[in-house]
Amino acid sequence: MSTQIVWWIIAIYVIIALVIAYLSRSGKQTNMASYFLGDRKLNGFVSALSYSATTYSAFMLVGLAGLAYNGGVGALGFEIIYFMGVSLVAFFGPRFWLVGKKYGYVTPSEMLGDRYNNKLVASVVAISSCLFLIPYSAVQLAGVGYLLQGVTNDAIPFTTGVIIATVLAIVFSYIAGMRSVAWTDSLQSLIMLITSTLVVIFIINGLGGLGEFFGSLETNQPKSLTVPGTGFFSFTTFLGLTIPWFFFSISNPQVSQRLFMPASLKSLRQMLMGFLVFGFIYTIVSVVWGFSASIMFPDLANADLATPKLLSSDLVPPVLGAIVMVGIMAAAVSTIDSILLTLSSLFARDVYGNIKKESNEQKQLIVGKIVIPVIAILAYLFAQLQLDLIAVLSVSASAGLIVAVPAIIGAFFWKRGTALGVLISVIVSGIMVIFLEFTQTKPLGLASGIWGILVSTLLFITVSLLTKAPEKKAEEFLTYIKTEMATLKKKKSTKLK
Amino acid sequence: MTTKELKYGSFIIIVILLAYIIPYTLLTNVAAWYGSFLFWSLLALVIIVINYFLTRDWGE
Repeated sequence: MSTQIVWWIIAIYVIIALVIAYLSRSGKQTNMASYFLGDRKLNGFVSALSYSATTYSAFMLVGLAGLAYNGGVGALGFEIIYFMGVSLVAFFGPRFWLVGKKYGYVTPSEMLGDRYNNKLVASVVAISSCLFLIPYSAVQLAGVGYLLQGVTNDAIPFTTGVIIATVLAIVFSYIAGMRSVAWTDSLQSLIMLITSTLVVIFIINGLGGLGEFFGSLETNQPKSLTVPGTGFFSFTTFLGLTIPWFFFSISNPQVSQRLFMPASLKSLRQMLMGFLVFGFIYTIVSVVWGFSASIMFPDLANADLATPKLLSSDLVPPVLGAIVMVGIMAAAVSTIDSILLTLSSLFARDVYGNIKKESNEQKQLIVGKIVIPVIAILAYLFAQLQLDLIAVLSVSASAGLIVAVPAIIGAFFWKRGTALGVLISVIVSGIMVIFLEFTQTKPLGLASGIWGILVSTLLFITVSLLTKAPEKKAEEFLTYIKTEMATLKKKKSTKLK
Repeated sequence: MTTKELKYGSFIIIVILLAYIIPYTLLTNVAAWYGSFLFWSLLALVIIVINYFLTRDWGE
């Protein structure tokens, strides 16, 4: 692919995105909720596109396509189980939204701290999120580096790609906080969905149509259409990959924080349904993409090269290839800027805000803005380590965040949960996941994420039963949700009458 | 949890179990587009429909 075209498209993308980010500014953003939550006024359409852009990063067309290339249809199963997990939004979404509005929560960890009546809970959950999400952002940055390097045959070096993505992520989050992130995300996800679908159509046509496409897979690589197939997706590997991702929508603060932002429950619903439609199309496109690469280039040394190879092939018009390529870069940026914003809000609200007694909204906001570039630079340094298989590292970040899931579920569905239960479950199982990942051990053949959720559930329940629950807060919190959820239904039925 | 949530929640759990079990049992030897590829895609569509009905009451 011509380096010149790539540079031109990057330039056009940056200009359009900057204009959109600039236009998205609205009113004075002097408090945490306006900067980090878009004033809790996001409409359904923008929420849906931005949610999709944040969730679907460079991982889809690089990592997932790579997994399909290496392991076959199991990659589709993996992503579909994640997709099914987003149904958790249908249960947790309205609950997050209701309490967020009532108690003014800005971050999911702040919510946990308040619900369990202990500020240390908020700080610990916030710090553990940072610990795992910085590597996750690094994975995205590295994805951009590999990609630009791959499609331009080393004309744009790895480091240049990583620097471009880091700078853009910082700029998009700075201009107007969540508003600029949400609007640039929306632009990015729309372009991405349309162009990547076009590429797949071009390729399938080039390969002789859908019948020929599957025919060729059935004859040449029949194992790619089954699991365990080539053996890559053994059942235990499949479990280890899918379980952490199943809980992604509530375990990852950059997406669960989104549940505080829609203007109404109707917007929240549009966000969920919009995401599901978007996600379904994009998942199929990404997997077919990986399959196409395995038909066209069956002997690549590194599966992460499948996408760059495909985009540079004769079947894809060069300009379209370059647009998608820059689109993938934008996908990484749209994930990183959301993570940056979320992590800075976590730090400002739950770490700084809890340590400094005299902190107020304005001070927290200043601290949040200072932290954004600091986190970005940390992620940049991590990306420079150039670790091998993108998907694997990305999944270990999810494995680390899963340890807060029992505490999150407990906040809404279990009165007996206690602060000590949260602290011990998050800290002990968090350290355990890091240890397992670091030493690459899989006790009983099961991956770190499975152990993470098992051990943290066990610890959360046992320690909670042995300690005293914050009864008054739990009662108030849960009764409020129960009443509101019931009236939700009643309002609807009176309307029908 | 409301009764509606319990009802649709159970549907979702069944769909998820099917997504884990069927491709690794009945479909392990069906090396064609109508094997696991189609099965997982259809289950994803079922999930969209369930979520549609589950969230129908959410208003302004």
